[in-house]
Amino acid sequence: MTFYLALSVLLFCVGLAGVLARRHAIMALIGIELMLNAANINFIAFWRHSSAADDLSGMFWMIFSVAIAAAEAAVGLALVILVFRHRRSVRLDELESLKG
Amino acid sequence: MVARAVLPEICTAFLALLVLTVDLAWLTTWSESARKTLLCVVCTLALGIAWILLDRNWEPVAIPTLGWMASPGVTCLKGLIAALTLGSLWLSRESSFTKHVGEYFALTLLAAVGAMILCSTQHLILAFTGLELLSLSLYVLTAFHKDRALSAEAGLKYFLFGGVSAATMLYGFSLLHGATGELLLPKVAMKLAAGPVEPIAVMGVLFASAGFAFKISAAPFHLWTPDAYQGATPGSAAFIASVSKLASFALLAQVTWVGWNPAGVAGNASLGSAKPGWIAFFAFAATASIVIGNLAALAQSGFRRFIAYSGVAHAGYMLVGLIANTQDAAYSVLYYAVTYAIGSLGLIAMSAILENRRGSDAISGFAGWMRESRFLAVCLMVFLLSQAGIPPLAGFFAKFYVFSAALKSHGAPHGVFWLVAASLVASCVALYYYLRIVRAAFEARDLAEAGQAPGMPALWITRAWIGACALLLVWWGCFPDKLLSLLRGS
Repeated sequence: MTFYLALSVLLFCVGLAGVLARRHAIMALIGIELMLNAANINFIAFWRHSSAADDLSGMFWMIFSVAIAAAEAAVGLALVILVFRHRRSVRLDELESLKG
Repeated sequence: MVARAVLPEICTAFLALLVLTVDLAWLTTWSESARKTLLCVVCTLALGIAWILLDRNWEPVAIPTLGWMASPGVTCLKGLIAALTLGSLWLSRESSFTKHVGEYFALTLLAAVGAMILCSTQHLILAFTGLELLSLSLYVLTAFHKDRALSAEAGLKYFLFGGVSAATMLYGFSLLHGATGELLLPKVAMKLAAGPVEPIAVMGVLFASAGFAFKISAAPFHLWTPDAYQGATPGSAAFIASVSKLASFALLAQVTWVGWNPAGVAGNASLGSAKPGWIAFFAFAATASIVIGNLAALAQSGFRRFIAYSGVAHAGYMLVGLIANTQDAAYSVLYYAVTYAIGSLGLIAMSAILENRRGSDAISGFAGWMRESRFLAVCLMVFLLSQAGIPPLAGFFAKFYVFSAALKSHGAPHGVFWLVAASLVASCVALYYYLRIVRAAFEARDLAEAGQAPGMPALWITRAWIGACALLLVWWGCFPDKLLSLLRGS
């Protein structure tokens, strides 16, 4: 149990660091996916180690969040392509026409 | 009975599919404005008929296994959401930005479905799904103006901030679920109140709070707000400013009051007896929002960014009410959110007219506004003064209810007095920048003297929506009990 929690915390931190530090939109997208998967590991770990084994709520959570993560990746990639069409680049530090 | 509890959501979702089909099947050869007009009329008729058919004289319906609550008060909230959605759809006619009219309407309606789910649900999975339905539609709507680089950039920034916060919220929910093993908010509260609270539950609540702070655009998670407001088309910006904020606050009030009530995760923000928990977190977020929002709003020259930053400050005031953590406080926050949503719909509509007339949304463009249209100038004054909290407008009672609820809370004689005092000082600062715009609009100067050319007149339907919003703010300001009893469902 402790192992799974440590893994998910590590994954979450790696994802967050990826979003904050990487200057590339695709990398940031991957970071977000890592964070979502960290939560999924939690759901499964808690479900596996809970005393009530017939309670499937952890599984349901995981299935819902995987589906949502897929939708989020689709929307994110579409937005990245849209920005690429305008600027021929998806580096986040170059996105600074909105300021103030 | 059960079907009635989800009727608003079902009607809106079907309407979204209908609009998409009609547009793709028959309207592709029409001009953009004709398509928008026809679809607006269809949506207004359909939602209006659904509202009339929905008999509201019924007992509250609950589906306990799904944590679904449909009381008359909640249904009124959904009606307001539907009305604000229609307002932002009609507002999309002010500018021409897309060939994909059906998709635009369908996405807006689906986002409205997400917002309605948030008002009813006490189930964590449903709440997260509803939030994502709302957010994912909004990312696309923000970037919908495909020919404008600004719009795409705003959409991507909104998405990246939103994605991180959604993941953070999900992580928080996973910890909370692990600590309690429950999905329904009342049961979560029972488990949390039963035994000593594990640190993992407090962590979960704090992570989820950070995700919520993004949705309601509270500082320091507000960075997307000005960009999204500026880059989006007027219709989408109005939807983000009104519906999205109202629904997020409805869910947050539900979650904090029903699910996170036990003292172990709530914490305390009173000076001297501070304890970690969501109250302490939101007290920090409220202070940051009030300071950052007001100071940044002072410095803005663009009207949209100004609305965004003043919205950050308003999120701070609403959080002050929320951390009072009483039933009355939850309703006062809802009252505030409703009046704020109506006011911001009006302000964004004003910004659309401003852009059409002057070519940019610079605040200086309001010079000579009074000479051009007395009606719009008076409505602008109503919106700004209501946001500033001047009696007898609705915004005054919103602030009054929220602050008095905060003072009565926490058992201590003065509750979170320090936070209320800071909010009151900040409101005085805010008065300055609101009145600055009113003065610019009302100064008796000729257009030529102000260096402005007379621009396009606004569409009559936009003026009608603006008038309706202003009337509601005056009406609910004169009779604040009316809105409060609607929300309480009594």
